[in-house]
Amino acid sequence: MTAASHTTTAKFRPMGVRHTSLAFKLWVGFLVLALIIGLVSASQVIMNGLGVTNLTDELPWGLWITLDLSSIALGAGAFTLSAAVYLFGLKRYEAIARAAVFVGLLGYSSAMLALFMDIGRYDRFYHPLIYWNVHSVLWEITMCVMLYTTVLLMELIPIIIESTPLKNIAILRTLAHVLHRFMPVVALVGMGLSLLHQSSLGATYGILTARPVWYSPSAPVLFILSAVAAGAAVTMLATVLAGKLLRKELVPEDVLFGVAKLVGFACLAYLYLKLWSWAATNYYSQVPERQLGSEILSQNTPYNFTFWFGEVLFGALVPAIFMLWRRTRSNRNILILGALMIIAGLVINRWNMTLSGFVIPLDWSPGTRDVFPINQYMPSLIEWGVAIGILAYGGLAFTLGIRFLNLYPQARELPPNEPVKATAEAAAPSTPVAPASA
Amino acid sequence: MADYQQPPKQPEVKQPKAVAPTPENLHLLSRRDFMTLLIGGGASLVLAATLAQPLDTFARQISETRPAGHEGDSNFHWVMVIDLSRCIGCDYCVWACQATNDTKDDMRWNIRIDDETPLGEVFHVTRPCLHCTHAPCVEVCPVSATYHRADGLVAMDYNKCIGCRYCQTACPYGARSFNWFERSDENPRVPEWGTPEVQRRPRGVVEKCTFCVHRIDAGLANGLMPGVDEDATPACVNICPVNARFFGNINDPNSTVSRIISSRPTIRLREDLGTEPNVYYIPPEGLV
Repeated sequence: MTAASHTTTAKFRPMGVRHTSLAFKLWVGFLVLALIIGLVSASQVIMNGLGVTNLTDELPWGLWITLDLSSIALGAGAFTLSAAVYLFGLKRYEAIARAAVFVGLLGYSSAMLALFMDIGRYDRFYHPLIYWNVHSVLWEITMCVMLYTTVLLMELIPIIIESTPLKNIAILRTLAHVLHRFMPVVALVGMGLSLLHQSSLGATYGILTARPVWYSPSAPVLFILSAVAAGAAVTMLATVLAGKLLRKELVPEDVLFGVAKLVGFACLAYLYLKLWSWAATNYYSQVPERQLGSEILSQNTPYNFTFWFGEVLFGALVPAIFMLWRRTRSNRNILILGALMIIAGLVINRWNMTLSGFVIPLDWSPGTRDVFPINQYMPSLIEWGVAIGILAYGGLAFTLGIRFLNLYPQARELPPNEPVKATAEAAAPSTPVAPASA
Repeated sequence: MADYQQPPKQPEVKQPKAVAPTPENLHLLSRRDFMTLLIGGGASLVLAATLAQPLDTFARQISETRPAGHEGDSNFHWVMVIDLSRCIGCDYCVWACQATNDTKDDMRWNIRIDDETPLGEVFHVTRPCLHCTHAPCVEVCPVSATYHRADGLVAMDYNKCIGCRYCQTACPYGARSFNWFERSDENPRVPEWGTPEVQRRPRGVVEKCTFCVHRIDAGLANGLMPGVDEDATPACVNICPVNARFFGNINDPNSTVSRIISSRPTIRLREDLGTEPNVYYIPPEGLV
């Protein structure tokens, strides 16, 4: 990032421990096992078709789409913090921007894996690049996600070159410098792309007139606001957790608290729109179809409970207080808890969003009878297996990234006078590496 | 980890912000600023004038191609009329469709449901693809695999479809089926209700009713008129034992469908959604 960090990392010096501790080996072994489960499940899907899932023609999207929507939203930290650094000129956030880019790339690549598994024709995944339908939000999303993943790679490549022996190859070093030079432009282009598709993911549902619980102009904005909150929260969580396990201060405290405040305010903005969106459609107005839909949801699914407690109270309101109140914010454990709550709230939201529209059956018949049954869905074991595999990929990449990449240019050892548990230090001469949390 | 040291903090140099106005710095606009604005404004005008024509053409093209995926013009616009007051719910049209288009029981293109009027009279609704004029499936498809033909049909290109199933999500009528597995089943409607006239679709693509497009195209090429000559008419229309289904060209005012639509009250499904379906229903007594 700065000239100083180029020279100080003259030797190959990973961020984490230099020898493998037992805990590290166990953790990596666990992830590799999960990855194998994922690969076995994925091979089942690829050999036998999507019929091995519990999806139906009436409910064609499920766990993997939830995973896809969630990981894209959780990858939004890159967009938010790049905006802070390059658009608003808050240079001190460069301390955490690299980690945000890395977490962002993991989120986007996980999402692409989930999407790849979800389409029926893997051999045609590139078709949106060739056969354009500019009227389709999904086309726009596909293009933006592909382009933005490229942007994230361009942002990450200099970090990889700089952190590994690759930097001894002159041409790669030049490449890193060139990419680095163009970083502000690349980051701004990336932000535009990110802003576009994070919202259009909400529009994927929001534009469908036939599904009254989805059809809503607030869906795109709710998606981007929740992504801003949760994306920054994941980056913060990764930083705090890794810092705890490596016993280092990875970013200056004011940067960490700044991110926490940003997360808190984004949560509040999200809550404000969410509550008004609910009130306008469910409380102050009575559209028969929507009312019927709400009744079906509350009678047949835990939608109401998960909406109010999972998404609103514990997914946004309580963590917003944690992030904004100075006393809770300055406690690292509460920061971790708050970030986990926001992530859980976001995943619940994406699940509810995806499922709610499908559970309520379409009613196109002109008569008065309730002809169409309510649709039910629980993911099959193979669907879980694939999802576990994708999460394991993210966890493994994160673990290796924290260990081998110079993601925190301003990291410093904690001075001895700062409170580090002496027992922990004595008991664990080798430092375990941060587990992935996304 | 001694490599990582906190960068020394630079004391921030505060720039004096407010300067007291003196005659020297009170110029609202220096000559240099004025020239910059003049040149910049002039250049912008020139640029705008140059780009106006191509941009306008581009904008027109965008608005003209809406709704997405419409193909040129045609003398034909195919519609179907289904008379719900005649339908006896025998399922013949469902089975003939299954045999002709080779579909499984759980992937039917043409389905029957039973509904009732406000007075409790049961009636039967059969539903093919409605071939909407503003089809949500066409608008959402990320690869244009489903598109509007010039003759009003909503068609599928099985070679483009990536199987994302957004069209299934968007269709208000549940008219689309996905190939969850590679097909190896015996068709239970063959040969009693007909023989397959089209290839089975591969695993991983979405399919739907085509209005028996293969019959329409081949029929027209052989001088037959769809809706009049059986060989050029959808299987479901031919098989109906009570003549509850009609097919034809709505651009021809003398076609059967045109005469029915202009003389009898008809409804279309979920007209409130603005999809403009090309399947018209004659309602049963007591409905509407």
